[in-house]
This record gives sequence, structure tokens and C-alpha cells, in this order.
Amino acid sequence: MVNITINGKLVQAYEGEMLLAAIRRENIDIPALCHHEAVEPYGACRLCMVEITKNEWDGWKNHVTSCLYPVEEGLIVNTHTPTVIELRKTILDLFLASSPHSTVIKKLAAEYGITRTSYEEVPDSTDCILCGLCTRICDKMGFSAISAVGRGHGKEIAPPLKEPPPDCVGCLSCAYICPTHYIQFTDNGKERTIWGKKFKLLRCEKTGLPTITEEFAAYLIKHREIPEDYFKINDLSHRRELALKMGQITQWGREA
Amino acid sequence: MRISTPKQLKELQKKFQDRDNKLAKKIIVCHGPGCLASGAEKIYQEFKKILSEKKITGITLEALKKTGCHGLCEKAPLVAIEPDKILYTHVKERHVVDIIEKTIKKNEIIPELLYVDPQTKEKIVRYPDIKFYSHQTRIALRNLGHINAADIDDYIRVGGYQGMVKAVTKMTPEAIIEEISKSGLRGRGGGGFPTGRKWATCRKVEDDTHYVICNGDEGDPGAFMDRAIMEGDPHSVLEGMIIAAFAVGARDGYIYVREEYPLAVINLQIAIEQAREYGLLGEQIMGTYFSFDIQINRGAGAFVCGESSALMKSVAGEVGEPRAKYIRSVVKGLYDKPTVLNNVETYANVPLIIEKGADWFTGIGVKKNSGTKAFSLVGKVRNTGLIEVPMGTTLREIIYDIGGGLIDGRPFKAVQTGGPSGGCLPDTMLDSPVDFDSLTKAGSMMGSGGMIVMDDRTCMVDVAKYFLSFLVSESCGKCNPCREGLYQLYKLAIKISEGRGEEGDLEKMEKLSDMIILGSLCGLGKSGPNPFLSTVRYFREEYLAHIRDKKCPAGVCRELIRFEINDKCDGCTACLMACAYNAITGSKKQPHVINQELCTHCGACVTVCTRNAIDVF
Amino acid sequence: MKQDFTTIPSIIARHPRKASSLIMILQDIQKEFNYLPEEAMRKTAETLEVPMSKVYSVATFYNAFSLVPRGEKLIRVCVGTACHIRGSKVIREQFENELKIKPGETTPDMKYSLEVVGCVGACAMAPVVMINDKYFGSVKTSRIKQLVGKG
Ligand SMILES: Cc1cc2nc3c(=O)[nH]c(=O)nc-3n(C[C@H](O)[C@H](O)[C@H](O)COP(=O)(O)O)c2cc1C
Ligand code: SF4
Ligand code: FES
Ligand code: FES
Repeated sequence: MVNITINGKLVQAYEGEMLLAAIRRENIDIPALCHHEAVEPYGACRLCMVEITKNEWDGWKNHVTSCLYPVEEGLIVNTHTPTVIELRKTILDLFLASSPHSTVIKKLAAEYGITRTSYEEVPDSTDCILCGLCTRICDKMGFSAISAVGRGHGKEIAPPLKEPPPDCVGCLSCAYICPTHYIQFTDNGKERTIWGKKFKLLRCEKTGLPTITEEFAAYLIKHREIPEDYFKINDLSHRRELALKMGQITQWGREA
Repeated sequence: MRISTPKQLKELQKKFQDRDNKLAKKIIVCHGPGCLASGAEKIYQEFKKILSEKKITGITLEALKKTGCHGLCEKAPLVAIEPDKILYTHVKERHVVDIIEKTIKKNEIIPELLYVDPQTKEKIVRYPDIKFYSHQTRIALRNLGHINAADIDDYIRVGGYQGMVKAVTKMTPEAIIEEISKSGLRGRGGGGFPTGRKWATCRKVEDDTHYVICNGDEGDPGAFMDRAIMEGDPHSVLEGMIIAAFAVGARDGYIYVREEYPLAVINLQIAIEQAREYGLLGEQIMGTYFSFDIQINRGAGAFVCGESSALMKSVAGEVGEPRAKYIRSVVKGLYDKPTVLNNVETYANVPLIIEKGADWFTGIGVKKNSGTKAFSLVGKVRNTGLIEVPMGTTLREIIYDIGGGLIDGRPFKAVQTGGPSGGCLPDTMLDSPVDFDSLTKAGSMMGSGGMIVMDDRTCMVDVAKYFLSFLVSESCGKCNPCREGLYQLYKLAIKISEGRGEEGDLEKMEKLSDMIILGSLCGLGKSGPNPFLSTVRYFREEYLAHIRDKKCPAGVCRELIRFEINDKCDGCTACLMACAYNAITGSKKQPHVINQELCTHCGACVTVCTRNAIDVF
Repeated sequence: MKQDFTTIPSIIARHPRKASSLIMILQDIQKEFNYLPEEAMRKTAETLEVPMSKVYSVATFYNAFSLVPRGEKLIRVCVGTACHIRGSKVIREQFENELKIKPGETTPDMKYSLEVVGCVGACAMAPVVMINDKYFGSVKTSRIKQLVGKG
């Protein structure tokens, strides 16, 4: 365990964890739009910045992104200094100029007292804040179907050649992880569309309910050594079968 | 042939020196960036043709030499005659015969090709007597203009590889690091980080693999020192890298060269192959257990790839996005291995420090800033070119003594150093010394060495706008403060330059700048607001003129200016020819007029008018 | 312009078959074809076993790569600081007027492409223009017609 001080309170943190985790355990609310436990920290939105210092630093202070900074013995962390708040406001103000219609951004900015951006609204704005969560989760899933395209202010997230992505299996991880709900998909129980690519959904033989896409199933069977007939029924049916089996086992026990 | 003992190297050196001493005269045709852009290749070919056709006694083709940048690019193409140290400027193909017939054969000087001192109007024969050269101290650029870059023998002749051989055969890695630390050598890539300390940290990281990388990305637009060194003296870079590799225990090295520098890649590649042939690179160097080799990676056009973590990603074939560095790249760098990354000029200094000792090096420059710094002196200065001065030299000495003052005797307005991360300093700072700490204190920064002189016709709002536009397109786009913040800063600068500025805009920009500096992930964003901040610090009045009076005093911002021809016009038609929009009319020898309807305020006419006949309002 | 894509595999084969070769391979392809044909990007992804999305990401990140064919003559106007101070903006505009294209574009006859570049390292001779691999220093507006003609 490592001893650190957060906003004046002495707390213990786990060796190797990042500051953000320790801060959140204290129920201190700091925004962190590009952070998600499922993927490696990235440090792009800069909202989670905090002030750090140590007794032996002779008053020298540093500002770091808490999502990326590993806890250290003796660290003194302040999450809401005037400078830190000023920075968060500026960032949210800038996000409000680049994604003016995002409800998530609007709400968060309002929490910091900003209801209208003080900057020029960016032409052709979208709700994408380039947090990189979608591409990171897609990489982690093993598909790498989408990526960042271009650079600088023109950067965007897109499939290769901006065509329906060949490597996409329609798992929807990107859409679920997107903090601003920018990534859209449709799903009518038979067919699913995301990134302009259409997928057919498998159906559970027992319930008739849709499960996952054919492509996703094929991938899991091939690369994750999942039995071929596993996807014939859905999770619910799997669980039911299991429950049934368990019930039988206990039944036998009683009978004996 | 493999060189395996210090003695062998000495003997080789002696042999090459003797061979060189036999040449009665040497004809040096500069092939530096400036001369190449002014037709140096044609001059060289002409010399070659005549020398091979004419068979002049005592002069063979061996006397003809292509070298790296001689320095005084403004007067390109340059031809020097050694050992007499004669310098001919603005040489054309038609002069070649004359040079051979007169200077080479009869020791006659050709006055029309000599450099003319701008102040005294005196013609100067020997280049060491030209102020541009006499005020310099050359360490990193020591061989430029003197040796053939594509010939390792020529490098050995002037003492090349002595430092490396001494390091590998007579010193321990610890002793090398100690010597570099004692010399006070600081990184020449901009940040000024102590090189010795960097190497020491890297050596201490326990790992079976360490890497050494040379940063030849030279992203600062307006700087070409690194290009000149890589093209003109590639072995000095290799030698520095070999010493670094031996010191930190690296087996593999990489040189990352900016994509716009194809010749640097060629010359480095030749140098690497030659060094391998001599056994100075490769397996078991100098018969020791030390093995090291170098590979070249070409950049692909991204300023941010000069940043260390982005560069390492690019070497690995990925997108050059910087990563947050709470673990430094000396500890976890290329492929997550401990890595030393240094700039081209830093490496070029290393061999001499090892050879001559730290005390020699600290004797040059000023305290905490030992040695010299190379600069590309460009912009509105008379003697543009490549220079190297001891740290602590004042800006005035550089601009007026070496640079010869401003073109057309116009007033000095500002000097820009540090590229997109640096700033503009006004005349009140002319007497401040040029070193890492003084420049940072003044609100600029040393940077890699671009020094751009600006006159009264340069608008500071325009300069800030220029750098912001550069950074907006070069930002990697990963983090919000840089991607969105610099963009908004740029938009505000445009607003001011177009006369739409309002009270409060400057304060808003200053506040935003502070937040971009605080919040950005890498050095690009963290220093991106500097060009704006330094210009607003020293030239606030000029910003206010744009905002309050809707005027651009320097006559640059198009929306705020108007051109008119005054009565000094004698109808030379130069402006009429220069105008691409047919906005100027008038007949020869009659005063011309500008049609304001058609004029786009591009200013082409002003640049060609030699009579001062065009007023800017 | 070459449109013979059969050379692609041999270009790829010049480099070690590992992910770190990606940029170098794309550079060689760019050099050969003056742009990155889709086939070449696909083939590279396949050979190096790098996802196509990563290839596309790299291809669009770096300035050196072009996804559309470039003209025979690539005219690059330096807009670096030294050149900017010495009037590169006017030079750029004159090229635009002369060729009737903007930076990043190619003339319909595929003869010329115009680009701007942030410093080519010949700053002492500002303003500088590069036409293919050749440098032209101290460029004056009056010389532009001639530069477009030759080079
Ligand atoms: C945006 C950015 C661009 C940079 N560009 C260069 C460059 O072109 N050349 C260079 O040597 N260093 C550049 N640097 C500095 C490098 O990150 C690194 O500090 C330097 O190469 C280390 O070498 P040195 O200690 O020998 O100076 C850049 C830094 C940043 C943040
Ligand atoms: S500061 Fe700019 S260049 Fe650096 S990581 Fe952030 S966006 Fe990229
Ligand atoms: S959550 Fe830490 S930078 Fe975005
Ligand atoms: S600024 Fe144009 S060549 Fe360097």
C-alpha cells in the first residue's frame, strides 16, 4: 500500500494503480472523458488533471493527468484548486465549441458553469471528442476495424478508406464505450448496421431471439476456441440449461 | 580494411594528409543547401569537364572537391581556393574558365567575384578576413566547407574518428559519461537537457537492450543546421553516436532524417557503409566486444515527430502520436527499451569533447552554457547563412557583425528564435546573450537554431498567425488543449489581422494560452502559444493598432492596407510586370497607378519597387 | 504515370516483414507511383499482418503520403518561416493563378501538382521553390511563368 494525501485527507492506495482510481474511491467527482477501465489510459481529454506536490519538493507543484499518473508514496494531490478548475472550464469551453450539440458535453460544461462557448463554433462539428476509446476498445477486442484518420484539427475516427470496414464484426463495443453516443448503429433484430456495414444476426434456436452477428460468432469460434454450436442458442438459454442441470444435480442429491 | 588500433588510425591519417599536401591547389565547390539551390552542381560539372579536358600541370581532378555548406549562403554559389583561403561568390558557369586560367594557373585574383564588405565597400580576398567568418567559432560545423562528405578518408585526414577510437580503446563507459557530464554539453535540439545526465540515466537502467537514436527531424521551419551537418559531415554524427552507444551499452542505433532531406539520407548511407568497411561500425569494433550498427529512418512529413516519444513511434512504423511521459524515454523508449535520443548537432560535438577533454570545451562559451551553438541566420539580414558562435554571444554581434545588418539598411524590428516553440525578441533585447537560459528568460527559446531576422515590414500579428497556422496543421490532434485550443487561438489571430478584433480579445488569448501550456500533453502544445505570447509581450501596441485603429502599421495584413503609387515613380514598369492581377497600369517612363478595385493587396509590387514609390496606408 | 501494380509485391519485399517497416514501405510505394494506390495499401497490410485501419491511419497522418495521384511535376512552395518573411505567400498565390489550382490539387491534365511545405532547408535562399527534386532559390514573381515551363 502507498500513502497519499487527497484534498487534505490521508488515504491508502494500491501499488501501481493510477491516481484517478484512488481519487474516485474517495467519491471525489472529477471528469475523465477519455478514461475507461476496459482499456489502457490515454491522456487525451486532459479533464482529469490534478495538482500534485510532495513535502520534499520545496513548494514545487506539477499538474498531471490523474488517469495516467501512478500513485507514489507521499504524493499530495489536490483535485479542485482554482487553476485546475480554470483548466477544466477552458477545456469544456473548447469542447463546447467543437461539439456544441452533444448533450453529454453540454451537461458537463453546465456543471462547471459554462452554458455557451466563448469561442467560435467549429464548422462541421460533430459529437466526436476524439477520446480514442472506440479505437482502443476495437484494438483490444482484436479487430482494429477503425482508427484515427488524419491529424491535427482535421483528425477524425473512421474505417479504412472511409468504406464499410472489412475487419468490423458488428460487436458494437465502440458504440457502447463512446462517451458522447456519437457512434450510431441500427439493429432491428434481424439486421444490424454500424459504420455503414450490414450484419445478419444469429438467432437462438430455443427462444427465437437475436444473439450476435454471424461475423462475431465466426471470429470467436476461430480465435477464442469457443465450441461451434455454442452460438446456436443465446446466453439466456445457456443459463437456463445450466440452471436445469444444476437443479437436476440437487434433485439427485435429495433423492439419495 | 579494418581499423583495429589507434596507431593504425594515426598512420592512415598521416597518409591522407601527405596525399592532400601534395595538391598545390584545391578547388572547393560548396554543395550546401544554399549553393545547391543556386546551381552549384552545374559549376562543379563545368570544373570537372575543363579539368579533365585541359590537363593542367600540377592540377588533377583530385584537386576538385564538393563539400558541405561553407556558410555564407547569401552569396551562393561559393567556390573557395585552398590553401590560399580565397573565396569567390556568386560564381557562374562562365567564370569557371577564368578561375582555372587566372587563379589556379597564375595565382591571380578575380576581383569581380570577391565578397564586398557592406560597410566599407572593400573587396575581401581571404574568407577568414570577412567578418561573417572571423566572428565565428566552429566546433559542430568544423569540417563543413572543408571535407568531402562522401569520403571517409577525408574525414580521417582532418582528425576524424580519433575521439571514438580513444573512447572505445582507452576509456570506460563511466569515464566517457563523466567526461561528457563535466563538459556541460547540453542538448542542441532545443531543450538544453544535460547530455551526460541523460546517458548516465540510460546506462543505469538494467536491460539487455539499449538504443541510441539521432534526431535529424529538424522540424523548425527556417533552420537547416542539422541538414548541413548530415549532408556535409555525416561521419561526425556517426562518430558521436558510436561513442554514445559504447557509453550506454547499445547495439542498435537509428538516425531519423526529415523527409525533405534526400541528400542527407544519401550521404549518411554512404558514410555508414564506409564506416562498416573500416570496421568502425558492425561487429566487434576495434577488436573489442563492442558491436554497434546504425540504420536510417526517413521521416514522412510531420513536425510532431521531432518530439521524442512521437519519433520513437514513427521509427516503429506507427502514427507519430506523443505519449504522456511520466516514465521518461531514457528509461522506456523505443520498443519500451531504455533509449538515448540526441540531436544531430549534439552528437557532432561529442567526438571533439572526448578527444580534447571537457576542460577545453568548458573554456568556450559561458557558465552553464559551454561550447558553441550553430544557427541558420536567415530572414531580412544581409549575410544569410550557416553560422556557429560561442554561447553567450549577443544577438547584436550575430545580426550586425556576422550578419552584416539588415537588407537595404532597413530598421531592425525583431529576431525570432526557437521556431514554433520560440518567440520574437525586439531591439531592446539585442544585447542579451544567446544561451539556453537567457533566451528562455526573455520569453523565447534557443530551439534547434533557426534565427530569423525581421525588419519593419514584418507584422508581428502576421508572424503569430503564421506560427499558429503551422501548429494547427502540425498538431497530432490527440489532446484537446492543443488541437482545439491552438485552433481557437489561430481563429482569434485571424480575427485581429482582418480588422475584426475587439477589446478583450488579447486578454482572452493570453488566458487561453496559459491553459494550453498547462494542459497539453507534449511539448508541441506546451510551447505552441509562445510565438503569440512573445509578440504580444513586446509588440502589444502593434496588436492594438490592428484592434482599435484597424491598421496594420507594417503594411502586411491585407484587409487593413491599401497601396498607392507616389510621385517617386519613374515608370520603370517593374511593378506592372509583377502584378498578377493586372491592377497596375501606366506606360513606360510615366507614373503608374494602382486600380484599387483589382488590387488584392498582395504586395508583390512593393517587393520589386526599387524607388520607394509605393506607399502603404 | 505508371499504373502497373504488379511491382507492388517486390517493393514490399525489399523490407523486413515486420510492422516497423510500414512507413518505409509506404514511402517506397509513394515514390514509385507518386501516390498510395488502394491495392498497394491492402497488399502492405496483408503482407505485414497489420490491420488495414492502421495502414490508413499512417497514410493519412503523414504529409508525405498522397491518396490521390499526383501530377508529373510536383511543385512545392516553401512556406517556412524564412520564406514567409521573404514573401512566399505571393509566390504561392502566383503559382495558384498560373496553374489554376490550390495547394494539394493537381491540374486536370495531370501535369502539375501544387503543394506547400514548411521549410526545405534552403532558408538562406528564401523564398524557395522545389520542383520535383530540384531547388530554386530567391524566387521572384517574375520567374514563375518560366519555372512552370521548365524545371
Ligand atoms: C514538437 C517538438 C518538436 C521537436 N523537434 C525537434 C527536432 O526537429 N529536432 C531535434 O533535435 N529535437 C526536436 N525536439 C526535441 C526532442 O524532443 C528532444 O528533446 C531532442 O531531440 C533531444 O536531443 P538533445 O538533448 O540532444 O537536444 C522537438 C520537441 C518537440 C516537443
Ligand atoms: S500537445 Fe498537440 S502534438 Fe502534443 S500530444 Fe497533444 S495534440 Fe498531440
Ligand atoms: S481521462 Fe485523463 S486525460 Fe482524459
Ligand atoms: S523556410 Fe523556406 S527553405 Fe527554410
